[in-house]
Amino acid sequence: MNGDLIWTLLGDAFFAAVAALGFAVISNPPKRAIAISAILAAVGHALRLYLLTHTSLGLPTASFFAAFIIGMFSMLAAKLIHCPAEIFSFPSLLPMIPGMYAYKTILSLLRFMEAKTPQVQQQLVVDIFQNGLTALFVMFALVIGASLPLFLFHKQSFMMTRLLKPTARRHRKMHRS
Amino acid sequence: MDTCSRCHRPIVTSTESASQASTEPVVLNREQQEYVKRVYDGGVLCEPCLQEIQTKIKPVAVRELSNFLLDYATTLMGAGVHTSRVVRNVNRIAGSFGYETEMTIFQRHVTLHILQRQDDSVRRTSLRTIRPAGFNFEIISNLSTLSWQVHDNHLTMYELREKFNAIVTKPRISRWWVLWLVSFANAAFCRLFGGDAWAMGLVFVATFVGFLLRQEMSFRHINHLAVFTLSSFVASMVASLGVWASLGETPQIALGASVLFLIPGVPLINSIIDLLEGYVLIGISRAVNALTLIICIALGLSATLLILGSYAL
Repeated sequence: MNGDLIWTLLGDAFFAAVAALGFAVISNPPKRAIAISAILAAVGHALRLYLLTHTSLGLPTASFFAAFIIGMFSMLAAKLIHCPAEIFSFPSLLPMIPGMYAYKTILSLLRFMEAKTPQVQQQLVVDIFQNGLTALFVMFALVIGASLPLFLFHKQSFMMTRLLKPTARRHRKMHRS
Repeated sequence: MDTCSRCHRPIVTSTESASQASTEPVVLNREQQEYVKRVYDGGVLCEPCLQEIQTKIKPVAVRELSNFLLDYATTLMGAGVHTSRVVRNVNRIAGSFGYETEMTIFQRHVTLHILQRQDDSVRRTSLRTIRPAGFNFEIISNLSTLSWQVHDNHLTMYELREKFNAIVTKPRISRWWVLWLVSFANAAFCRLFGGDAWAMGLVFVATFVGFLLRQEMSFRHINHLAVFTLSSFVASMVASLGVWASLGETPQIALGASVLFLIPGVPLINSIIDLLEGYVLIGISRAVNALTLIICIALGLSATLLILGSYAL
């Protein structure tokens, strides 16, 4: 049973990594960032699957925690590699973007216009609200989760791309005084 | 024979050229000498390059700085970054030259007001259109690093321009690599939604065809809404072959996942970051843009469903 769970999560992580890698290259990321964002996506997506299947959390809450973990790790990676943190976190959030809910909302809207009977219309109203609100809440949960670490470490987050060497800093201080 | 570290052409030594040209040797001032030492350390420069450096390095004028900052801001906005990073980076660069800036950023335009700290009669307000460009995270990363380099090392305007041009003209990842990787990605994505091997294969082919169409149409500068609608239609038509021939157990999932490579994820994320950071207008503009694209995707997909004769999704 436990072995099954591990294999499911590993499979999920692998496919999430492939998905993140492919969707990331559309935006032409730096080559040293691609592998890291794939790993982050794998961790985040597998965590979300675990939370969804083994706890009572819903999709937005689970997405929030997954995005938070991605945000924390992307801060760490940003510190090590000197890229802005969003270079890692954006591509790894892409597999969790509620794209299917978003366009299903529009499809339901289109069908609502053409529906003949009130029963079908009622069902479609439920669909519209369910898909639309899920898309909205998951989007907000993802972004807030991923940017919460930025607010927690507010000052450091500006300086990730800084390549300042200690000697240069000393020199600047001397210069100023 | 030595080669020039800047233009990589062999250097003609002064004894050889003395017979043809009697120009006096180029003398660089201290800032220029430091620049050569810093940028081309240990290298030698040929005579034309030295002359060019001598003529180009000069104290920064408000006009020059303002033009550069507008280039910088519009490039960064086109590369797909949230607004507060643009504002911070531009402020940082201006600060290192002794200027202050105020900016208004909209979806299509950047307004920049720049003001010298010591003398507030030196000021300038200018406006520039943001040219539509593909997202480019490498540019975001390198331009952010550049802003810190300016801040910490006090680069000259000339160095700044040269580095900026080098970053902006760096070639993207080959489009064929992108095409293959996106196809694999969407197939993997289909698997995450519970598709079987048949569905993954279908989505792979659908994405390959759809993304190729999108690339070709984007190169021809066709309206991007039309590009999204048509790509969505073609990709879902390819995937609908699975429903029509009932391949595998889950052809419906393949149909649903086949258009997901078009979803504008980065603008959606950026719009919400902007909304949360108080740049409400541009946040809403980005959200509306992304929503328009999603509507186009849904239209393309619904055309396929209409042809297929069912709304079963």
